[in-house]
Amino acid sequence: MATIGPNELYFLMQGLKWTLALTIIGFIGGGVFGLAVALARTSEAPFARRFTAGYIAIFQGTPLLMQLFVVYYGVALMGFNVDAWVAVAVAFTLHASAFLGEIWRGGIQAVPKGQTEAANALGLHYVSRMKDVVLPQALRISLPATIGFLVQLIKGTSLAAIVGFVELSRAGQIVSNQTFRPLTVFAIVGIIYFLICWPLSLWGASMERRLQTASR
Amino acid sequence: MMRNSMKFGRRAVLALAAAAAVLPFIAPVDAFAGTVEEAKAKGKVVIGIQGDNSPWGFVNSSGVQDGLDADIGKAFAEYIGVKAEFVPLAVANRIPALLTGKVDVLFATMGMTAERAKTIQYSKPYAGNVLSVYGPKDKKIAGFDDLTGMAVGVPKSSAMDTTITAGAGSKANILRFDDDAANIQALIAGQVEAVGGNQFYGDRLNAAAAGKYETKFDLTTLYNGAGTRPGEKDWNETINAFIDKIKADGELTKIYAKWMKREVPAFPDSLPEIPFTVK
Amino acid sequence: MSYNLDFSVVVDRLPELLVACLATIGLAIAGMALATVIGVLGVLARRSRFKLLRGLVIGFVEAIRNTPFLVQIFFIFFALPQIGVRLNPTATAIIALALNGGAYAIEIIRGGVDSIPKGQVEAGKALGLHPAQIFRHIILKPALRAVYPSLTSQFIMLTLTTSVCTSIAAYELTSVAQKIEADTFRSFEVYFSITLLYLIISSLMMGVFALISRVSFSYPVK
Repeated sequence: MATIGPNELYFLMQGLKWTLALTIIGFIGGGVFGLAVALARTSEAPFARRFTAGYIAIFQGTPLLMQLFVVYYGVALMGFNVDAWVAVAVAFTLHASAFLGEIWRGGIQAVPKGQTEAANALGLHYVSRMKDVVLPQALRISLPATIGFLVQLIKGTSLAAIVGFVELSRAGQIVSNQTFRPLTVFAIVGIIYFLICWPLSLWGASMERRLQTASR
Repeated sequence: MMRNSMKFGRRAVLALAAAAAVLPFIAPVDAFAGTVEEAKAKGKVVIGIQGDNSPWGFVNSSGVQDGLDADIGKAFAEYIGVKAEFVPLAVANRIPALLTGKVDVLFATMGMTAERAKTIQYSKPYAGNVLSVYGPKDKKIAGFDDLTGMAVGVPKSSAMDTTITAGAGSKANILRFDDDAANIQALIAGQVEAVGGNQFYGDRLNAAAAGKYETKFDLTTLYNGAGTRPGEKDWNETINAFIDKIKADGELTKIYAKWMKREVPAFPDSLPEIPFTVK
Repeated sequence: MSYNLDFSVVVDRLPELLVACLATIGLAIAGMALATVIGVLGVLARRSRFKLLRGLVIGFVEAIRNTPFLVQIFFIFFALPQIGVRLNPTATAIIALALNGGAYAIEIIRGGVDSIPKGQVEAGKALGLHPAQIFRHIILKPALRAVYPSLTSQFIMLTLTTSVCTSIAAYELTSVAQKIEADTFRSFEVYFSITLLYLIISSLMMGVFALISRVSFSYPVK
């Protein structure tokens, strides 16, 4: 029976690299598009509002695993010949943009109306009103939820394993099958995820408490 | 997140409408798959391979593609004078990856079945694989009938899945796992009482628990061929010429000895309903 | 060569898919019911006098919320048999969903319980109510009402998470879809249609949740 040595741990770390890469790509891409979604969702154009509402409802109403499958096979059908990991990264970006868009929409709407009115009275145009007045406050309000979603995203990248992607969870399955020690291997994999996610969760929770006390 | 549940109806309708709206954009698709000439111009051939099926094709602990399929893939790339780029695939997404142009060719332990031959173009066979049912020594399993009422594991959409479903689909409780790794793990964990597997399951099960499991009965011998998209004559002809060459000059014997630790089997000249060449 | 979409494979096997939808809904309902029980018991334990019990609940909640569901379900299915606990795929799926949903439910319900003003509890004591009666009528019910929207949206997530149970060969919508995909190689068509089915299931559930809310929480707030 094989043991779990440096080789196996190294293999898990290779998987972890992909977990982190997918998370970072999804979070940055999702952040950029998510901001656009949030702005469209709170815009004055009814079409933009309705379109983004539908977009968000699709991603919040279907399993992430299905989103991965559909994008994975869909981008190729649309004629883009891309690597598997690009397809998966696109899927996580779309997924994240819908969730972050909805979180930030909440943040934008939580900024008191008076602020916008005051900005209007000062003659600020839309870009400056958003960039200098509303968004900084909105992002601050939504910071705890944003961090919470980041944790969801890290955990969500494990589903890339089902599409055949060797990230941390799948690396764990492979090592478990080579060493025949599923208990130890899955415990190690779980602890690695925990060590990444837990500090973020704590940070998010303390941020939330601070915001609550500030608003009292 | 869904704070206002009263609005669910309108939301759902909107979502369905939006989903329907994207459909027309993805309907007909033009050719996007590369030809042999294009691969040569690019200097690389993209080869689909299994990521976790030792010793056929797997990622070794340094993260590099290894195994029989990897060696044959490398030899093929060398044969056409380009670099090999491997894409590790799971059993279930091998064929879709080929058809959607994610890879140029599959050296992915593709057992040659008539059903798959309707969807992809096979080359001549280059390897053989005896498929059997494996189970614990203390259980009597001599044929499909003995699987009645048993939980039997198979890798999703593998040839083992097809044969066991055909033989005992109505009698056994067939559990379909993502891949060989999960399938073998399910047997060791006792989650299934028997599994359908290839000729290497024996070694892997022995490594897990020496002397506990054995081959129960053979299902079939499956020949592996390279897969290309249907109608693409250039890929098919190039690969067949390559396979003839490595069979003749002893390279296949060498690769076989390295990974399979056995002789190259005798290959049939034809298989029913599985053409080796583009018609 | 070109690829033409062909949805007939999905239409042909719609009956099979609809049965699988029911299996998915069944898994989800079982998971939600158990998760609610775990949630309420967890909140009780979290308020208990015993430090160890409180610590265990906090540890459980943090461990579940900071690791992926896929790893949790693999752990139950592949690793627990090593110490003699062997559950079939359906039981594994339900327990994994219940534990996962339960951890979130504990946090959500606790938030609701914390929001109940102290004065309300004291009023209950003054009326001579039993501690159990106070917890049930004065703390739990208003708390559940307060957190109902977050709890139900968590349950929608739980419903969508059932799709991951395909990786331990549980019988539900995604595993049936993969079987059809394997038979037909029509990956995109199959997954696209299944995604729509999930969208319908989650919309239906939101509808039911809205209905439940109207029926059981119809008395006016304050």
